[in-house]
Amino acid sequence: MKLERITLENFRQYYGRQHLNFAKAKERRVTVIHGVNGAGKTSLFLAINWCLYGKSVDNVKVIDNVGELISKEAINRAGVGECVRAVVELAFLHDGRRYVVRRSLEGTKKQGGSLALNDTDDFTMMRTDEDGQAKRVSNPIGTMNAILPVNIRTYFLFDGEKIDNFAKPEASAEVKDAIYLVLKVELLVRARRHLEAIAQDYRKDLKQTSGGELRDLIERDENARKEREKAEKRKAELSDGIESAHRKIADIDRRLLEIQGARALQQQRDHLGRELKQRQSELDSLVNQIRELTTGAYPIVAKPVVDRALQILDEKRERGEIPSSVRKQFVQDLIENMNCICGRPFLDGSPEHQRLLNLMSSRLPGSLEDDVLDTSAALRPFDERIGKLRNDIDASMKRRTELIGLINELQAELDDVGRQLRGSPLEEISRLEKQRQEFRTDVESYNAEIGSLTERIKNLTEEIAQLEKDIGKAQKDERRGQLLSIKLDLAQRSADALGQMYQAFSDDMRVRIEAKTKEIFKRLIWKDSHFQDVLLGPDFNLEVIDRYGMFSRSDLSAGERQVLSLSFITAMSRTSEEEAPLVMDTPFGRLSSHHRDSITKHLPELADQLVLFVTDEELRDQARKNLEPRIGTEYRLEFDRKTSCTEIVEVNR
Amino acid sequence: MTEPAISRDTVAIDEAVHEVYQKLTEGNDPVDVPFRTMKDVFMWAASLGYQRGERRPLTGKRVTIFRWAQFSPQTDIPLLKALAIADSGDVNVLLKQDDILTIAEEYANAGIHELRTRVLDEFGQPLWNLVELSQ
Repeated sequence: MKLERITLENFRQYYGRQHLNFAKAKERRVTVIHGVNGAGKTSLFLAINWCLYGKSVDNVKVIDNVGELISKEAINRAGVGECVRAVVELAFLHDGRRYVVRRSLEGTKKQGGSLALNDTDDFTMMRTDEDGQAKRVSNPIGTMNAILPVNIRTYFLFDGEKIDNFAKPEASAEVKDAIYLVLKVELLVRARRHLEAIAQDYRKDLKQTSGGELRDLIERDENARKEREKAEKRKAELSDGIESAHRKIADIDRRLLEIQGARALQQQRDHLGRELKQRQSELDSLVNQIRELTTGAYPIVAKPVVDRALQILDEKRERGEIPSSVRKQFVQDLIENMNCICGRPFLDGSPEHQRLLNLMSSRLPGSLEDDVLDTSAALRPFDERIGKLRNDIDASMKRRTELIGLINELQAELDDVGRQLRGSPLEEISRLEKQRQEFRTDVESYNAEIGSLTERIKNLTEEIAQLEKDIGKAQKDERRGQLLSIKLDLAQRSADALGQMYQAFSDDMRVRIEAKTKEIFKRLIWKDSHFQDVLLGPDFNLEVIDRYGMFSRSDLSAGERQVLSLSFITAMSRTSEEEAPLVMDTPFGRLSSHHRDSITKHLPELADQLVLFVTDEELRDQARKNLEPRIGTEYRLEFDRKTSCTEIVEVNR
Repeated sequence: MTEPAISRDTVAIDEAVHEVYQKLTEGNDPVDVPFRTMKDVFMWAASLGYQRGERRPLTGKRVTIFRWAQFSPQTDIPLLKALAIADSGDVNVLLKQDDILTIAEEYANAGIHELRTRVLDEFGQPLWNLVELSQ
């Protein structure tokens, strides 16, 4: 960035439209602006800052507590209701192109003389392209920030009052910030911080997604399946066992029928067995019947609903709000034919006719009327239905009790037959019956085991289904986990690489700036100086070594501190390779003549463009002589006490 | 019998009680799992809800369990209409099937807890508990 020209219009004490050209020739690159204290040097310095950045950019305050920006003289001269405007226009070259930025702020003069300011100022940027055409830049704030970022502007446009900041003993943080910002190390730091945060997130995610969980689930699934298979096999064995026992029982029954002393009892047993089976099947169907009856028995519980609804309907009917159970069509037909139900005709206006007309007028809309009548008709028989339902359920339950009694009796009779056979004096009969008893016991115990196995198989099947779901999810998690691991690795390695780059880059920068600062410091400091060397350590402390090799920054005078700061700043701008002007407001005020002489001699070589705001006292004698061959343009700020306005006057050279 | 204007024809319950409906209908043994249809469970629950004077709006996620066509025209629909009339005291409620359903759903949403307590949670087998409840 190289400044070309600034134009001010009604900006603070610069009333009217005034301009100033900056020196930018290679040999004569210095612009000197003279002004006594209060003449307007700081306002002009402010104008450059305000034009480029406004009052603030991205929360970075550029201008603070400076009062009105619009010229008081301009406000004073304007009529009430008239618009007053402050404008600063800055032309500069950057990367081979010419830019003109313009910032303006408007207000309207109110009764009483004060100004109603617009909320925001107006900022435009024009760029001259290769074809010589000036075009409006669509994103002026972003573009300006790319040319000279707002947070590094103070290292190029700086206030002489604050120039020694970097050399103060407590300034290491500021030195570090300056290096980071100007040399864009900050970008690396930010990128690294961002990548580490991402890696951290991935790590957290990864922790939540399994870790050996899938293996455990698969193992459990395998075990459950094995166990289910075993149970099913055992169940099949037991079923075979039952079948075989039944066959053997049938054999024994046949044998008993053949034996003389057992035949009658066995025949009785067969008969009882058949009857028992029949009763049991009867009981089964009765239970189903009771089930049908009971699950549909909610009208019993709903009796209060039916009663209440009918009560409401009856009350409404009595009040004439709804019709009695006579259809609208029927009444209409009677009226049309002028004939009663009994066939007797009636006359127009007769009491019969009037009654039918009344009936018609109190009717509900057609479909609702039908609905009310139908519902009412459907609800009336509910009482009877409820009674029948109760009776049916009662009867079925009674029959159930009877059947259970019968079954118990049959069971007892069968036991008795068995007992008689077991007690038979004939050994064969007794043996066969005992065997039969054992087979029956087997069947019972097999059935019990089958029951428990069936339950077990059911549970295992449910468990397997759940495990399958969990495995599917864990597989998905694992795939996600693998992807996460890759991402995590990438993020972490990138962050580490950036960290190393950052370390190497910032060390390199620090060493280069140290060397440059040292070189410049030696050039600027008074030759016979007591101070011999400058150090910029890893802790970013700017340190000065005296001729005895001792650290002696605390011994620096205010002027020497200023020289050290200046050395550091110019070293930084040289190292950054940014082409930028050095604009300095009252830079030499606190320097001794020795330092001033040596700085004025060397400073022009250290900047691409130098703009100095000075008092006459700052620049005289040898200092002036040193600078003379490098001055391109020179101005004097003339402050008129009568109007409190400043005029920019070019000094003829 | 004329049907009210059709607007909604699905019957819903609160997701939280879906499990009770399933327990009462899913299984082979009629003594342990007495109900064949969720419609019957719903009708029982709605009737019990009214009997207890409790109506509870559905607040959770709605689960559709069956359609209007499953209600029997002889018993269920007159009962649902009676419930709507008894609740609102107004016959105009019959014009809106939506309202009839909502009233039934809200009584059922309260009554289902009673049905669970009396049929599933009480000592004894569910079918005989239900018989007890209907007497």
